[in-house]
Amino acid sequence: MFLTREQERMLNGDYGWAVAKAMAIIVKTGEVLGASRLVEISHAHVSGVSYTNILDPGLDFVRRLFLSGGKARVYTTINPGCVDYSGLSSLIDGSFNEKQAVIDESLIRMGFKPVFTCIPYFHRPPSQGEFLAWGESSAVAVANSYYGASSNREGGPLALAAALTGYTYYAGLHIPENRVARVVVRVDPSASRNPGALGLWIGENIREIPLLKGFNPPLWDLKIMLAASAASGSHAFIAVEKITPRGFYKVDPLEKVEVEWRDLEKYIGLEPSGGSVLGYLGCPHLHPWEFHLVYEYVKRRGRLPGRNRLLLTIPIEVYERYRDKVLYLRSLGVDVAAGTCPVVSRLTRRFDHLVTNSGKAVFYLSKQLKINYYLTETRRVLEIVYA
Amino acid sequence: MSTLRLQVKVLVDGDCRAPLYLYNGYVSFFGEVDPVNGLHRATGEGISGKAFAFKGGRGSTVGSYVIYALKYYGKQPACLLVEEVEPIIVTGCVMADIPLFQVEKGFLSKIGSKRGLLVHERGSNYVEIEYE
Repeated sequence: MFLTREQERMLNGDYGWAVAKAMAIIVKTGEVLGASRLVEISHAHVSGVSYTNILDPGLDFVRRLFLSGGKARVYTTINPGCVDYSGLSSLIDGSFNEKQAVIDESLIRMGFKPVFTCIPYFHRPPSQGEFLAWGESSAVAVANSYYGASSNREGGPLALAAALTGYTYYAGLHIPENRVARVVVRVDPSASRNPGALGLWIGENIREIPLLKGFNPPLWDLKIMLAASAASGSHAFIAVEKITPRGFYKVDPLEKVEVEWRDLEKYIGLEPSGGSVLGYLGCPHLHPWEFHLVYEYVKRRGRLPGRNRLLLTIPIEVYERYRDKVLYLRSLGVDVAAGTCPVVSRLTRRFDHLVTNSGKAVFYLSKQLKINYYLTETRRVLEIVYA
Repeated sequence: MSTLRLQVKVLVDGDCRAPLYLYNGYVSFFGEVDPVNGLHRATGEGISGKAFAFKGGRGSTVGSYVIYALKYYGKQPACLLVEEVEPIIVTGCVMADIPLFQVEKGFLSKIGSKRGLLVHERGSNYVEIEYE
């Protein structure tokens, strides 16, 4: 691989152990993936910061980088941690608070922005053509598919290494020739109404880069679909007609498929009848617009009935801006957690059913919690917890 | 005993001599692998000390840390074999220094459910599978 003189000095340890270690991870990963050089990035987003996900090995790795002088060289944001940073949630288990604090302190003192969210594009929407090194598979897919800024699905440690060096390897989706849609997927209107299930279907059934036709949702539904397809599959980029900036990709179709409601039925689970229900919205984190829609609905319906609970997960910034609304929701029995989510934390209690609009949450939580689930649209989640 | 020799693309090199464990599907190391006990949750099989072959990665970018954690807890596979390469698994193997090989598409269906011993020597560009 070609390295500039500065990059070589970084790799050889002239900038300290942390930079050398970071550079080694990038260069080796890049070599394996066929990169011939590195590229300067404008924004790193670091995933793998939750203690319950990365455990002691990850904590030690992050801590060692910090103690040996690691510093962010570019604008860097971080993914959710495993505790509720508003301190108000009774559903998110706070018992790993001390371990999480060690990780957080290391990251913050290295100069990373403590946004603790999986929607970094809410803080800094990337411009078309920018190079990014983002972890968090759902955000990567949004960067490519919605903003036309390129990022590969960087593993958590690689995104961290990119933050400390300002570089990532030039391969994969950074190269325009690799952004070619091979499968045209016509989405029937019946399949558009459940973006979580649509995403799970795409993840499991399509391996090449798809071009979606007939699916034209707002950003918040698009992120639900992309998050699900990045969980059940490995999609970093899905071209969406009328949404993905033209010029970011080419189309060279080898195959055409159609997806309709009956293809999605196997992903939706069962609507609960009896037993305790956890309604969950906010995977990926709620955008302020969605937060307000949910807020208006809950305000109209009043206190949550019976044993049902509703959990919302939001970026810390949304909590800080709308604290009065969060407190009001809490007074009506709605649990709101900031800077975390159940995928990266543990819950304090068990439920019989999970009802959510998120295919990603279903993919992970049905495995972690061994829970019955029902995957449906946002409005139906609210109707069910209020039933 | 019969031996099958297959060309591979060596991504992270290292010696490997271990029983083969095949999974004809994609794996998200986060969520689908328990790093503390070295288990592949989809089947309940242990992967520590095995030559773990699967189609490729999927899911969370935390997967690299899970591969690193397998090593940290001493539960790492002896090597990984994938049909499709993906950055999350590469970074995990680079960090944990676990040998990683790319096999040709169709490898998993070709081998089927046969049990065997997989052998790779550092520096070579092939693996050998020894059957009982």
